[in-house]
Amino acid sequence: MPEAVQKRAAQIETVDADADLIEHYYERGFSDGLPVAPPTPEKVEAMVAALGGEPDFLEGRVPPRWGSLTREVLAINAVMAGCLPEYAPVVRAAMRALCDSHFNLNGIQATTHMACPLLVVNGPIRGAIGMNADCNVFGSGNRANATIGRAVRLILLNTGGGWPGELDKSTLGHPGKYTYCIAENEEISPWAPYHVEKGYAPEDSTVFAIAAEAPHSVTNHISDDPEGILESICSAMSTIAHNNAVSSGSCAVVIGPEHAATIAGKGWTRHDVRSFLWMNTKNTFADVSFGHRYGKVYNRNLPRWYGREAESRIPIVPSPENIHLFVVGGEAGRFSAFIPGWGHMTNPVLRAVDSGEPAPGAICVDGTCML
Amino acid sequence: MNPPESNQVVYDPRGTVDAEPRPISKRPASLEGLRVGVLDNTKWNGRRFLEKTLALLQASEGLGEVTYYKKESFSKNAAPELIGRIAAENDAVITGIGD
Repeated sequence: MPEAVQKRAAQIETVDADADLIEHYYERGFSDGLPVAPPTPEKVEAMVAALGGEPDFLEGRVPPRWGSLTREVLAINAVMAGCLPEYAPVVRAAMRALCDSHFNLNGIQATTHMACPLLVVNGPIRGAIGMNADCNVFGSGNRANATIGRAVRLILLNTGGGWPGELDKSTLGHPGKYTYCIAENEEISPWAPYHVEKGYAPEDSTVFAIAAEAPHSVTNHISDDPEGILESICSAMSTIAHNNAVSSGSCAVVIGPEHAATIAGKGWTRHDVRSFLWMNTKNTFADVSFGHRYGKVYNRNLPRWYGREAESRIPIVPSPENIHLFVVGGEAGRFSAFIPGWGHMTNPVLRAVDSGEPAPGAICVDGTCML
Repeated sequence: MNPPESNQVVYDPRGTVDAEPRPISKRPASLEGLRVGVLDNTKWNGRRFLEKTLALLQASEGLGEVTYYKKESFSKNAAPELIGRIAAENDAVITGIGD
């Protein structure tokens, strides 16, 4: 072992050559419940090198524990999660998004709500590292999706201190707290990719992060028009049970490829889809206030400009731009999904992998330009 | 016993915490006559909890002047300026979550 490696501060001890390191990391409390891949100096070094070297470089501080996320600490967690070095820039972009103050990771880690960060990757890096954007995209079976999401979770646990019952007070949690990382299926999508809609070039790669509940399936095997399919999504959105209903904020919608083909086949743009969804959800103030059955409700978590009359319509989110739309999944099956967010307490964040900024000027996508 | 060079390294994935812990002030022995601040986290049940707590304390302790404050958002820390104001204007403060 080179001397320089032996001196690293993050190497806390040595154990016998025949010690079971997987059990050792369990005993130290450094696991998410699943076995970790024990980091070796060689693997950590390779992961740090993929981040540009400088192991002590501080990438961020992770709340609520506010542990220092140096490149070395990021690398250790990424190796433990099973990442390959080429995944490291995606993990870093995700952590930069999560540590942006607008995201309010402190609140997301600690909340009693079940939200946790959902990551959506766009751009050429998806193919370069073999991410799955196709069948079973939210499920198991792909190393990059699984271990990038897991690396972020291990950082949130180990560095951020979000241990259940300690600093993570979520009443229920959800399965995405093991890993919750997908890629947009840009190849099959009839529309421009999400990051291009937000002003990045197609050849840029990005990570989008949103505090999210689990996906809620939307089945529609009958409609051959945009309105029918989107009414089904509106139905999934029009409950008073998710956090958006009473706390506004942002949400995500994923359109399955068959649904997307039908919708785009009628000439509808991404903006048309978001606008229809925003316009046609059904909640009223009487619904979300329980008709004042438990006392007079104003609800300070909803925008001031919403009506507070019984029949006032209460949009799920304040504007169509607060619905983050992606095309994901396999080519067969008429399914989409609604993914509720956490509420107005957080803002989704989009970050470029490595460098890269959005192109200047008006954003024009699918015939819609926004200044 | 294995020679040191054949041992396995164990890593700490937590990272250091550089912030210094700041303990809360000692509780006063009595609230009688003290200036008391009430910090509302803006949650529906939080406000009700604070109102009832304050009523009980006013009945049993004989509080001095009471001043109300509101956080900007229940999910974020109170702004440092607000904390400074509360500290300057009060001898004790009551706050709580109440989801």
